[in-house]
Amino acid sequence: MALLEVKDVTVHFRTKRGEVQALDRVSFALERGEALGLVGESGCGKTTLALTIMRLLAENARILGGHIWFKGTDLLALPEEAMRHVRWKGISMVFQAAMNALNPVYRVGDQIVEAILTHEPKVTVREARERVAELFRLVGLDPKRMDHYPHEFSGGMRQRAVIAMALACHPDVILADEPTTALDVIIQDRILHRLDEIRKQLNMSIIYISHDIAVIAEVADTVGVMYAGKLVEIGPTEAIFRRPHHPYTEGLMGAFPSVRGPKRELATIPGEPPNLLNPPSGCRFHPRCPYATARCKAEEPPLVPFEVGHLAACWHPRNA
Amino acid sequence: MWKFLIRRVLQIVLTLYLFATIVFFIVYLQPGDISQVYINNPKLPPEAREALKRQLGLDQPPHIQYLNFMRNLVTGNLGISFSEYPRPVWDIIKERLPRTVALFLIATLIYYALGFHLGKLIAWRRKGLLDYSATIVGVVLFTVYTPWFAYLIIWIFGYKLGWFPLGKFLDPVLWRRYDVPANEVFGLMLTVGGAAILFLLAVYVLGRKLHLPPLPRALMNFGALGLAGGSVAYLLWGPEFQPYGLLARDILWHMVLPVTTVTLIAFGGAMLLMRDSMLEVIKEDYVLAAKAKGLPDKVVRDKHAARNALLPMITSFVLALAFVVDGGIITETVFSWKGMGLTLLDAVTNEDLPLAVGTFVFTGIFALIAHLIADIAYAYLDPRIRYE
Amino acid sequence: MAVPAPPLKKPPKGRHLEAPWRARLRLLRRGLAGSWGMFWESRIGPLGLFIIAFYGLLALAHPILMATVWADERDVYDPKHGYDPQIIYGGFDGRLQSTVAPGSDDYYVDANGDGRPDYIYAGWDGVLQSKAVGDDKYRGGPAPPSLRHWLGTDPWGRDVFSQLAFSARAEFFLGVMAALITVVIGTLVAAISAYYGGFVDTFFMRLADVVLLFPVIAFLIVLGSMFQLNLYSLAVVLGVINGFGGITIVLKSQALSIKVRPFVEAAKVAGGSHMHIIVRHIIPNLLPLSFLYMMFNVTSAIFSEAVLSFFGILNIDMSWGIMVQMANIAGYLQGGAITKAWWIFFPASISITLLCAAFYFVGRGLDEIVNPRLRKV
Repeated sequence: MALLEVKDVTVHFRTKRGEVQALDRVSFALERGEALGLVGESGCGKTTLALTIMRLLAENARILGGHIWFKGTDLLALPEEAMRHVRWKGISMVFQAAMNALNPVYRVGDQIVEAILTHEPKVTVREARERVAELFRLVGLDPKRMDHYPHEFSGGMRQRAVIAMALACHPDVILADEPTTALDVIIQDRILHRLDEIRKQLNMSIIYISHDIAVIAEVADTVGVMYAGKLVEIGPTEAIFRRPHHPYTEGLMGAFPSVRGPKRELATIPGEPPNLLNPPSGCRFHPRCPYATARCKAEEPPLVPFEVGHLAACWHPRNA
Repeated sequence: MWKFLIRRVLQIVLTLYLFATIVFFIVYLQPGDISQVYINNPKLPPEAREALKRQLGLDQPPHIQYLNFMRNLVTGNLGISFSEYPRPVWDIIKERLPRTVALFLIATLIYYALGFHLGKLIAWRRKGLLDYSATIVGVVLFTVYTPWFAYLIIWIFGYKLGWFPLGKFLDPVLWRRYDVPANEVFGLMLTVGGAAILFLLAVYVLGRKLHLPPLPRALMNFGALGLAGGSVAYLLWGPEFQPYGLLARDILWHMVLPVTTVTLIAFGGAMLLMRDSMLEVIKEDYVLAAKAKGLPDKVVRDKHAARNALLPMITSFVLALAFVVDGGIITETVFSWKGMGLTLLDAVTNEDLPLAVGTFVFTGIFALIAHLIADIAYAYLDPRIRYE
Repeated sequence: MAVPAPPLKKPPKGRHLEAPWRARLRLLRRGLAGSWGMFWESRIGPLGLFIIAFYGLLALAHPILMATVWADERDVYDPKHGYDPQIIYGGFDGRLQSTVAPGSDDYYVDANGDGRPDYIYAGWDGVLQSKAVGDDKYRGGPAPPSLRHWLGTDPWGRDVFSQLAFSARAEFFLGVMAALITVVIGTLVAAISAYYGGFVDTFFMRLADVVLLFPVIAFLIVLGSMFQLNLYSLAVVLGVINGFGGITIVLKSQALSIKVRPFVEAAKVAGGSHMHIIVRHIIPNLLPLSFLYMMFNVTSAIFSEAVLSFFGILNIDMSWGIMVQMANIAGYLQGGAITKAWWIFFPASISITLLCAAFYFVGRGLDEIVNPRLRKV
């Protein structure tokens, strides 16, 4: 049994202009120690998915169906109090724009101590502080810094602190939502590698969420591609990069420059991502797809395996 | 933090200077010389008229008048009142200012605490019926016609229910029996109250500084609260301290309704401010992060959201200050509470220029000091300023 | 992989390009329609609008009533000088009727209808005096609401409803006038301080600090003792004071954010003069927020007038505040008397409260549309 299994999760948002269909029957599984990368344009539902797993969606969100099995229990059926214990102890999160994920009026160390004491009431303040010092060393921060306030940290240091916070209760899964987007490339790289090392060291699972396929390529074992609230392709990183099946994945590869590969023209995907208030019929990608046929417009393609562990939702798969 | 505070103090001194200058221009430099009206006031005794002329320096050129005005202000030489001739204005202000400060201080503490907590609660459960009705009640309390509202309160609690006296600062029948000046008792009350608040504050800050776990800290805070409350009660009821305790109780008794009135009219605004501020903070990532950490809902609300929402509330305290001072004037008038507001109104109706100017300037100074205290509180609560 | 873009649609022939003002109007209309939806959903805004409409109708009704229903009895219903000889001395239970003894300054009242006078009301020099012939069970005073006087009469026998409706017009005038002055000054000062910065900015911001701390009522009490403040001068004074106050701080920070927007840069590069940029680019973008603060200033102006009238500082002969002040002078606000003639000050007090709240409600409703910090979501 997988550590975390998301099954047919559908989420809508109620807004003034109508119902936004943010996630549509998304399914995937995550094994212990695995690093899954979720990639897609902004607004495709990546963050919504992370918040659904944590059950932290805004009030106007409705989960219309599906299950999220975590260690054999369905998180979507858990009472709020039990869910509270899963948060951080079972699944923790590195926030998008980590700059703002630290409360400006409390010391950084105290904010991590707070998380530890909430989930492990038997730990004393002193022990918790020792653990924070250890975590600081682990992510490459000076432990003396734990009594500083967030505004005294640089962007990179804050990011490290937020990662340290995510590790505080030894979670099984970490959801890293754009963990390094706001940082410059060198620090980005350093932090990603550190996180990857820590994952291997502690045998945790991580879901990386990013719009930057280069980041995902570097650290993920498995890659899931999302488009307009749907998971359109998922498979081993190698396979996804070498033999993408879904035309969108193919376009995505073309849209990102590669330093290592041969030089080529940077292609773009024409058109705009669809409005989720009223998504296209059939395959949601068909209005932008160069290979689209009448069938794509009429019928929705299911997510089916083309090779072992490599699934795609497309009527006209490439490289198959 | 010191840099911030020094800058604020300098700014406030500058503001005060501007304020005094504006007062000077309004009072002394009117075309046709407005002060003549007061000099020729038939109610004025002749010797006072001479003194006033000298004090106003009306024969001097304007810039000398201005310098004199400023010098007099700085040295506290505000002249002689002629509605309460021959008492110096400074003397009257010394008597009346503490009464206003006490009224204002107690009401402020209560309405801020109430507004903070209720605003927090309604924001946390926003968009419900509670939010809608609380907003309407808040606005109506904020805009309620204060004199009418104050008379209604007197009628309900003073007349109909008979729980509290119908206004005035003290009960003259009771005080005639003891030959104790009211100001002495009131001064003692302020000292004791101030000491108790400082003591509680010191204990609270000490508890934070020591990094104690929550339980001992709560015990310490409650212990201090009990100790302070017990001491105050002993001072009020203890046989050794009579008749002072009795008389102090009488003043407190008379204070309840005016304090309630100021609290109620200012409370609506504070609650709405807290609600709006809280609604903005709730959108911040660190609140989501606090929820994600698995903290109980109450901890997220109180420790993470409300603590940050408090900051803009202190800033807006400064904005609300003038409003509360104005409300205080109305309340003092309706309750015949002889503080700065009623003194100002009386001075104006009796055409007592020195007293009116003195009271007005000191109302301004009072507001400025409250402003400064708000600044200090802000600097203390916001580490971004504290550790600059 | 690129799909060729569809050919651009040419504008239909025979139609001229839309005039700029027409395009602007169309955009404005579309913007207003969207904003109206949001305003309506705030629920609190429409409530305020409803109350304002109610008092607006009341204000309009007064001259109409004076010209039609009350036309024959203008002396009775005049808000300032009217009195009703028929029921001046209505008792508290509404039963008492007065008869006027001819050729006398005194009024005799037959309370029990036995044809003999029971009370003598000696003339009226301000407050009515009554002398009882038999016992003194009844005292003279205002008449309670009746069909003839919907909200009763005040101690001087004037119709309260007429006063209320008559004053509504003055309250609207004062509130809107003062708020307009405030907004014009505030917007100009904010745009200028934000655009030029430096000394001008420092000066206006410090001035705003002083004004913010000014207890306006206390200040106007002092001012009112020296000058005769009537409705017009009060509107100007309130408008000017508030115009240099907190509104400039809020609008300035908004103007600062406008100043750095690309179109202002573009206008500068294109060689627009300072005046041109301030008037054509900064101020139009400040106006929505200015309009919002105008609502709050209407509230504050009406409230200030009511309080100052209550203190008897103003030189105004009729307003809601004056109505309450007169009830107070006549002793109908103190202690137990408050229930005896509630109709002479309750309508006015409630009207002040409601109209002030109404403009505040509208302001809060607009806040959700206009305010940049709330609009983020």
